[in-house]
Amino acid sequence: MDRLEIITITKKFLSEEFEVDINSIMDHENLRETLDLDSLDYVDLVVLIEENLGFKPTADDFKTVETFDDFYNLVEQKLMNV
Amino acid sequence: MIIMLVEKTNIKTYIPQREPFVMIDSLIEANEIGFSSSFFINNDNIFIENNILSEAAIIENIAQTCAAGFGYLSSLEVESEPRLGFIGAITKLEVFNELKTNAMIETHVSIINTFENIHLIEGIARSLNIDILKCQMKIVLS
Repeated sequence: MDRLEIITITKKFLSEEFEVDINSIMDHENLRETLDLDSLDYVDLVVLIEENLGFKPTADDFKTVETFDDFYNLVEQKLMNV
Repeated sequence: MIIMLVEKTNIKTYIPQREPFVMIDSLIEANEIGFSSSFFINNDNIFIENNILSEAAIIENIAQTCAAGFGYLSSLEVESEPRLGFIGAITKLEVFNELKTNAMIETHVSIINTFENIHLIEGIARSLNIDILKCQMKIVLS
């Protein structure tokens, strides 16, 4: 899966699940603020990532993620190690 | 014959609720993928109205099945303190049938995913193999 595919898939499942405009998911926007995530939402996010991207992130993984760009970097890194 | 992990006489060791809010009799099964419980609906249950058990009581039954299951599993760990669980959210609630008094509920909980101390579970309550109510919950363990 290349970066463009990762971005396309991610935008689709995040906008559908968290009911945000797909155009608001911009690379340099803050992921938590854009999706209006609270701590309970992270377990949903983990389920979605497992279903759509094929790996299970840990709490430590999310420490490196502020923007969507960070998230795509994390996905690329994880998929390289799968 | 069903072998209970926790009998009715001992269930309050594993859940914080007390009468008349105890909505589970016995814990039948508990492991890392889920839990099962049973509960008999007596005539004097406080959530009975017009001979029907309220949906809230069945949701509580699912939550107490989680509490008993997580409590039982933590009791197996050496030097482990019992952990209190809280319902963080209830989603995807579906009610299929009403439940009358003098019926037995069998409740099955599947742990869908876990992130830190938050567990996403799906619970389904059945009576005589008929689906009564299903929902997902986020259970936060202290």
